[in-house]
Amino acid sequence: MIDNATDRPRSPGDTPAPTASPLLRIQNLTVSYGDAGAALSDVSIDVAEREIVAVLGSNGAGKSTLLRAISGSLALEGGQIESGSVELAGQRITGLGAADVVRRGVVQVPEGRQIFKDLTVEENLRAGGLALSDRSARREGRDRAYELFPRLAERRTQKGGLLSGGEQQMLAIGRALMAKPQVLLLDEPSLGLAPQIVEQIGGIIQEINATGTTVVLVEQNAGMALRVAGRAFVLEVGRVALEGPAAELAASDEVQERYLGVVRDHGAAIEKRVRRPQSTRPAPHELSVENLTVRFGGITALEDVSFRVEPGSTHAIIGPNGAGKSTCINVLTGVYKPTEGRVTYGDDVLTSKRPHQVAKLGISRTFQNIALSPEASVEENLLLGRHRRSKSGFVASALALPGARKERAEQIGIVRDVAERLGLTRLLERPVHELPYGDRKRVELARAAAAAPYVLLLDEPVAGMDHTESARMSELIGDLRDQLGLSIILVEHDMAFVMGLADRVTVLDFGKCIAEGTPEEVQRNPDVLRAYLGVAETTTGDGS
Amino acid sequence: MTQLFELTINGLSLGAIYALIAIGFVLVFKATGIVNFAHGSILLLGAYVAARTQGDLGFWLALGLGAAAAATAAMIMEVLIMRRVRGVEAGVLAIITLGVDVILLTELSRRIGADILATGAPWGSEVVRVGDAAIPEARVAAAVIAVLVIGAFVTAFRKTDWGVAMRAAAADGKTASLMGVRLNRVAMSAWALAGALAALAGVFFVSFPSPGLDNATGLQALAAIPAAVIGGLDSIAGALVGGIIVGLVATYCAGYQDELSFLGRGLGQVAPYAVMFLVLLVRPSGLFGTQAVNRV
Repeated sequence: MIDNATDRPRSPGDTPAPTASPLLRIQNLTVSYGDAGAALSDVSIDVAEREIVAVLGSNGAGKSTLLRAISGSLALEGGQIESGSVELAGQRITGLGAADVVRRGVVQVPEGRQIFKDLTVEENLRAGGLALSDRSARREGRDRAYELFPRLAERRTQKGGLLSGGEQQMLAIGRALMAKPQVLLLDEPSLGLAPQIVEQIGGIIQEINATGTTVVLVEQNAGMALRVAGRAFVLEVGRVALEGPAAELAASDEVQERYLGVVRDHGAAIEKRVRRPQSTRPAPHELSVENLTVRFGGITALEDVSFRVEPGSTHAIIGPNGAGKSTCINVLTGVYKPTEGRVTYGDDVLTSKRPHQVAKLGISRTFQNIALSPEASVEENLLLGRHRRSKSGFVASALALPGARKERAEQIGIVRDVAERLGLTRLLERPVHELPYGDRKRVELARAAAAAPYVLLLDEPVAGMDHTESARMSELIGDLRDQLGLSIILVEHDMAFVMGLADRVTVLDFGKCIAEGTPEEVQRNPDVLRAYLGVAETTTGDGS
Repeated sequence: MTQLFELTINGLSLGAIYALIAIGFVLVFKATGIVNFAHGSILLLGAYVAARTQGDLGFWLALGLGAAAAATAAMIMEVLIMRRVRGVEAGVLAIITLGVDVILLTELSRRIGADILATGAPWGSEVVRVGDAAIPEARVAAAVIAVLVIGAFVTAFRKTDWGVAMRAAAADGKTASLMGVRLNRVAMSAWALAGALAALAGVFFVSFPSPGLDNATGLQALAAIPAAVIGGLDSIAGALVGGIIVGLVATYCAGYQDELSFLGRGLGQVAPYAVMFLVLLVRPSGLFGTQAVNRV
């Protein structure tokens, strides 16, 4: 149906011989962003011609960084290659700019599709072909894209922004194909798409590959990726943790546990934390989410979602990327206003309050992408968390009146106490940007805790951490909950982490609540397995 | 009534000239995220080169040379200065352009001195009569040429590869570079084009009924900045509309100066800024501007 490589040499036979020199060779690649420590450490991956290789890993594992390093777009994101090399067919492409890498035949479909929303479908495709100087090749490319995605042909004069998520993904892939890639790099094409559409995208990837295009597929959806790919690599905190044939990895206990959340009874089972309540503070109120619907323009981010968080309990919200988890947190903190429904905390209606008023009720949050002041010290960042609790005004503080000074001393005492509990004492004087990722995540947690909240909202607190770090974080959060008698609302991808900490779990998919219950109940729910864990069952219909 | 008609035609003509300037301003902002306060002195440079050379080369060649000079100056500014500091805060970038503006303006003022340079435009001071109304030929010519140039620009922006690359880069530079768009070239072409359009506008700006090019021309042409801001700073259509609004407002205020004398003299020069503030009060992103969206 499509033919991407007629003008390129191809090796005889469909399966490359293992001894053949690889088309794309990544050797000992180490990448960092500024002073933030290594995002990739010593990663080596070989990709043979006409192969599909999947790269799996959780958020922050370095998957996107790997693709950026290959496609030459790392510098645009503020990253740099510290050591190692990327070679295409024996030629070094490390250090080339993104536009030159495209001309060598390596094209990346960026995460989140990133289509040009104000350009029409046809103009988007045209933008993809700008690297080709041959007009007839461009025309062919466009016809091929329309043949592969008839839906795009129907909508060729519409603006890209009006397409559905699945169509946008098709457009992003079609746009990349316009440059006639030898190697196609796909960054999470299943992001936020419904299961049937994910299946469809998987089929398209195989179809593109069948015509001679080599594919590197980065995915969180391990189910789809392992079905489509021949070989797979698992990245964990910037290192290759596992590699092998996709079928073998899919069957391995380790991958099932890590990505499919299946807990086996061979000792790796996570013990449920025993609670040791020690708080003498008044208990938090019940937080109740009632029939919440949020729409942005034509997109429904949350639809009729309800759940209750009992005082002092831990409630987890899980779901694939784009399921509406962060939207949910943003409604709870008053950043977004819901289209319908409301959220109450005790007698207060949170949805009619502004963010600072919500914070005043003792509800504090952490951010998925760490929102700390990088130049300030850890202590200063934590003091910022106390801001809501300080009584001295601007003038009193500026003049350092005795009352303000006394208060400042108290504040520092409280902050030091929180730091002690979270093991940050020896880091208090260090500027935040010097700290490694895991420590910054803990500072973020400490800042939220410093406000002495009643309800703590944690947005992916262990994203990008390895198992040891995430186990430690789980313990810290558990201790904090017991010591302060907190209610906790937890948004997370890491299944093992959620299962160990949460009392109840709400599963969102496509903005809808598809399951609620104890971690054990949710884990056994077939809908959840299908939607979140990427376990395929036969799907019907074309789903578009 | 005749006066209103005359003023409207003159205002539209002036508006088309402002639109040329504002389009360049917006183009640079879209392609590189830089608010270029040196735009007025680049305009002055182009008009100055055209006025100085028209005696030897004739009007049209001199106009081309002026446009080329301004385009080159803008390109040099982008490649030698702005490109090296890419990624720093927008405020810092704007201040750098102010510095370039001061240097360029000082040198040009020194050269122009107290002279008033003629542009040598072939249409001189003739007027076209429409009923009772008298419209200067120069204004008609300026309007016609400005409309043609704007039309050509908009067509290129919408239809050509250059236009697609420019729009893709403006919408999302990172993604555009993943499509093979060379961002540096796009930026350079935007600056060069902005310079050329400014030079063209500058020459018309100082044609009849204006006495000619003098020291203050760059400053007066800066009224194109409120035009761009009214339109929304990142919208080409906005620059067009903003230019027309500023042209009309400035012309009406100057024409009805006596009726508006309670507001003081020289209202025409202040009015564009007053309109800008009013528009921003109601629409903080301008008439056609993209609203800043902040995702938490």
